[in-house]
Amino acid sequence: MSMGDTSLVEWIATSLLVLGALFYLAGTVGLLRFPDVHCRLHALTKADNLGLLLVCAGLGLLACDWQVAALLGTIWLLGLLAATVSAHLIARHACRDHSATSSRTGSA
Amino acid sequence: MNLAVDSLIGLGLVALAWQAISGRSLFRGIVMFVVFGLTMALAWARMGAPDLALAEAAIGAGVTGALMLVALRRLVQLHPDQPAEPKRARSRLALPIALLAASLVAVIGLGAVSVDREPGRAGVAVMDNLAETGLSNPITGVLLVFRNLDTLLEVAVLLAAFLAALAVFRDQEQAPAPPRGDLPLVGALLAIIVPLTILVSVHLLLAGSHEPGGAFQAGAVLAAGGVLLILAGRLQPASGMPLATALPLVLGLLVFSVIGLAMMLTGAPLLALPGLWAVYLIEAAMMISIALTLVLLFAGASGLRRERP
Repeated sequence: MSMGDTSLVEWIATSLLVLGALFYLAGTVGLLRFPDVHCRLHALTKADNLGLLLVCAGLGLLACDWQVAALLGTIWLLGLLAATVSAHLIARHACRDHSATSSRTGSA
Repeated sequence: MNLAVDSLIGLGLVALAWQAISGRSLFRGIVMFVVFGLTMALAWARMGAPDLALAEAAIGAGVTGALMLVALRRLVQLHPDQPAEPKRARSRLALPIALLAASLVAVIGLGAVSVDREPGRAGVAVMDNLAETGLSNPITGVLLVFRNLDTLLEVAVLLAAFLAALAVFRDQEQAPAPPRGDLPLVGALLAIIVPLTILVSVHLLLAGSHEPGGAFQAGAVLAAGGVLLILAGRLQPASGMPLATALPLVLGLLVFSVIGLAMMLTGAPLLALPGLWAVYLIEAAMMISIALTLVLLFAGASGLRRERP
């Protein structure tokens, strides 16, 4: 692999990592600023799962190893699974508990 | 760059520790404690101690956090009318004690830094003799071969702690089982995660001989699967302790002591292990005992029974 190729791969990987970090930032801002439980969950699960995918993709590119890439993919899938189920449970609990949901429920 | 990351982790640890104990709310403190544990695991990993990082993440953050949450729930159940956040007046001794503790830490820290660090003889001896054990992970070598009396006593301490907790469980009535609803997502999650926890714990156990891992980490991961099963209502706390529970509970201690004492009959010193197979056997038994102890502590009961969904 020539020098040019390496730096190109590193550039792509770095952009993916930065983009992933931005999605995490957006998700965190949503978690802190959104008005109720459902909107906050929406921000967390959507933005963070995409952020995790981008970070995993960036790290996989940097590692240049199929085994590491497959492990990172597994980590992303597991994170997706955990986020989905826990968000579902929290939303369910919030639906039952009226005090947790304000009247300003957005279209999540 | 590295210095920036390390300083961020260090400052974050201090801030998280303060948040965990400053006591605005018990629940908040527990969450901060878990985040502290995860950050601490990151710090161990940065310092090149992946074994400690694994143990900190699995036991320090995961299992201890779950135990604290279950303790908080019991506290609320026991005194539902009492506000969860009692207003405590700060003792007049708090500030002097804090200052004394801080100066003690500072003196010890400065002393530790100023000492010329020659590599200790014990570490060199371990690395020189590691090849004879057949293990290539020096941590497992120390835990299971060179200092295995300490490990045996740790397992005994865990059992003693569980027995002490059992005395407390006896005093209070069983907490009512959490309501089980039709939660198809939870069933799907369990179907994927529980086999994976078994796979990962067996991997950690086997990997322990040549890379980071070992019985304690494997046991904690296995216990996490059990905790999930309890949370989902598939395992319910039960009273009484059948042999099927009692035997795995003491299996680690039993196998370790029997092998160690049997070797004495052949003239070997106390707890000299006959070979690599004994290390694996003891680690597997310890993993089962550690996992069951942690799960029972979480359940707050002396036994478990299965509950069909």
